[in-house]
Amino acid sequence: MADPKMRILVVDDFSTMRRIVRNLLKELGFANVEEAEDGAIALQKLQNGSFEFVVTDWNMPNMDGLQLLQAIRKTPALKHLPVMMITAEAKKENIIAAAQAGASGYIVKPFTAATLAEKLQKIFDKMGG
Amino acid sequence: MSDFAGMEDLLQDFLQEAGDLLSDVDNKLVDLERSPDDRRLLNDIFRGFHTIKGGAGFLNAGELVTLCHLTESLFDKLRNAGMTLTPGLMDTIMAATHGVRNMFGEIAQGRQPNPASPEVITNLRAALAGGGKIGLAALTATGGVEGETLVGPDPLPATAVHSKGPDWQALHAAVTGQSVGPLAVSAPVEPVANAGSGSAVDLASLQPHFPPEGRRVTDKPGAAVSGAPTGRRVEERAAARETTIRVDTARLDQVLNLSGEIGLTKNRLTSLRADILAGRTDAETLQALDQAVSQLDLLVSDLQNSVMKTRMQPIGRLFQKYPRIARDLARQLGKDVELALVGEETEVDKTMIEDLADPLIHLIRNAVDHGVESAEERRAAGKPLKSVVRLEARQEGDHIVLMIADDGRGMSPERIRAKAVEKRIISEEEANTLDDRQSLNLIFLPGFSTMAQASAVSGRGVGMDVVKTNIQKLNGSIEIRSEAGKGSVFVISLPLTLAILPVLLVLLGDQPFALPLSMVREILPINQERMQEVGGKETLVVRGEILPVIALSRLLGWPQVQPAEYGVLMQTAERSFILAVDNFAGRDDAVIKALDDFRPRGVAGVTTLSNGQIVLILDMKELLADLTAHPERDLRPAPARALEFFA
Repeated sequence: MADPKMRILVVDDFSTMRRIVRNLLKELGFANVEEAEDGAIALQKLQNGSFEFVVTDWNMPNMDGLQLLQAIRKTPALKHLPVMMITAEAKKENIIAAAQAGASGYIVKPFTAATLAEKLQKIFDKMGG
Repeated sequence: MSDFAGMEDLLQDFLQEAGDLLSDVDNKLVDLERSPDDRRLLNDIFRGFHTIKGGAGFLNAGELVTLCHLTESLFDKLRNAGMTLTPGLMDTIMAATHGVRNMFGEIAQGRQPNPASPEVITNLRAALAGGGKIGLAALTATGGVEGETLVGPDPLPATAVHSKGPDWQALHAAVTGQSVGPLAVSAPVEPVANAGSGSAVDLASLQPHFPPEGRRVTDKPGAAVSGAPTGRRVEERAAARETTIRVDTARLDQVLNLSGEIGLTKNRLTSLRADILAGRTDAETLQALDQAVSQLDLLVSDLQNSVMKTRMQPIGRLFQKYPRIARDLARQLGKDVELALVGEETEVDKTMIEDLADPLIHLIRNAVDHGVESAEERRAAGKPLKSVVRLEARQEGDHIVLMIADDGRGMSPERIRAKAVEKRIISEEEANTLDDRQSLNLIFLPGFSTMAQASAVSGRGVGMDVVKTNIQKLNGSIEIRSEAGKGSVFVISLPLTLAILPVLLVLLGDQPFALPLSMVREILPINQERMQEVGGKETLVVRGEILPVIALSRLLGWPQVQPAEYGVLMQTAERSFILAVDNFAGRDDAVIKALDDFRPRGVAGVTTLSNGQIVLILDMKELLADLTAHPERDLRPAPARALEFFA
């Protein structure tokens, strides 16, 4: 199982949503969570700090989740960072785009702590393996 | 019983943030109407609905998700599929936005929203179907996968139709007419089994996920049924007062810091008390006491300031709602009006923002309806057809100034005077004594309306006096400036906060009274020999201005024991006068305690002095109004009785 002290960055322009994700993560034992309001701010935070996991919304102003993912994969220091995408609907073309850009996982709103745990576990398993 | 038990915190956050988002969308819609091809606007509006939908999903608010989803899809089509924005489509979108806002109201009442009006849904669906290529119907045809491509918990009935096997909940909904929330699609939905093979995405995990049983909306048929008949009332009550406030954490941190420091100072004082009680009264101890008390003094006033700041909110949150209102009204009247907002960042006390909402709406409506001319009139006058109504806020010293300015026809003092006489609000003689400014102020009198016929839009002349009363309740004032052919400006002046009122303490005998400092212009000694009688009234000439002298004792119905020694030159919106008092005791920042159940006329509230004495804060406008209404009345006015109450 993952380190509960793992430093996680939650990226969403809607603060209510950041709080929801943060609370769900807390429910799962992950308390070391920081927030960013869009991709651009997230990227800056990621470059400055030692984050170990990113949970990002897709649709955001300035830099959206997909652009953030692409930027992370292009940055040598960040490219191995696991990134989970959150979106409101699972349109097939979205999923393919996320997969091609190198998303580690994908979760559809709304979701519960149990679903989140399951998705996270799959990603951790993959990383461990 | 709330449909959102256990989610109250989330609910408050959502309502506040989504409410702001929707206001922003409303404004952008108004902008969009002017530049329908602006992609940035289309994107922003799309994202607004999309974000609200995402949050609504977590609240299981299925009807809200549906409505947002449809609207969002429409914007997706507008921005990507070359669909054009027609006025009819705009109306549909506006109606959808209105529907979303009503649903917020229902959620605020602790109930799952009822379905949006069938008309809105039908129109949205028709618009989506009309364009053909992209949108809901077309989503199923994209890519190489057959059938359903929406694998998320999508609440649209369309999804239920496409899914395999009977959808019992959708059937139930069809039979009972009740909404079943986002769980309508819990019937098996075909997962995207062969999408992008070899990708890093965990495809097996793409099945829909639903909240745990305990939150299932459909498990509460009773709640849903009881919710339906009250739908209309919900709309009316949607404007319920917010009970939460959003505060910058830096401001809260400051409050926390200060209260910590006050705690430390209190500890210091406690230990000094022990020393003093034990008999140590040497110079060093007393100096330490003096220091501690001074420090406490500073800290407490800092704390007061910081706490006050937590209540301050940018007035833009209120302003946001108006462009849409102005736009709807202007369209209804066949006018082209732009509402320009200035100074949205100006901070105002939260309660005041709420109490300003209605007066401002009224003034904006008034400006659009009465202030701005019809298109023909503007053309004839050689003015640009598009008129601009400006809503402006700014801070001036310890006051907030709000202005509502139109570039319309202006107000005619003669016409207003004539109207007031015709409506028997004032007599012909009274009308003749009024100057232009006073004439304009007649519109604030109850029963006045400049329009020969009451318009459905601006009401029936019950508005302006209510506007004025509401502004006065906030210790504010309102005045009008108008220029024929150029337009009118309503200027509202308000104190920064309602909690603390700077006052001047005056004495009548030994009894102090507090006067709002905002009305005080200066204090001058009264020389009895220089008093002049003009028309049976005592007056003093101050720098060439003849001012009436009114004794505070007379206003209060107290006997004048000794000749008044000081005069306080006071100024209200209507007039200036000198209030004669025995003496004054200085200025103070009064923390107002409202007299909720027991509020005698002429008393705005009470405050306590440092020695524990209770002081009445006088409401000069009420006292003066009583005096003007019954100049010969010798009943003891309410303040005198109020004092006995506290004695």
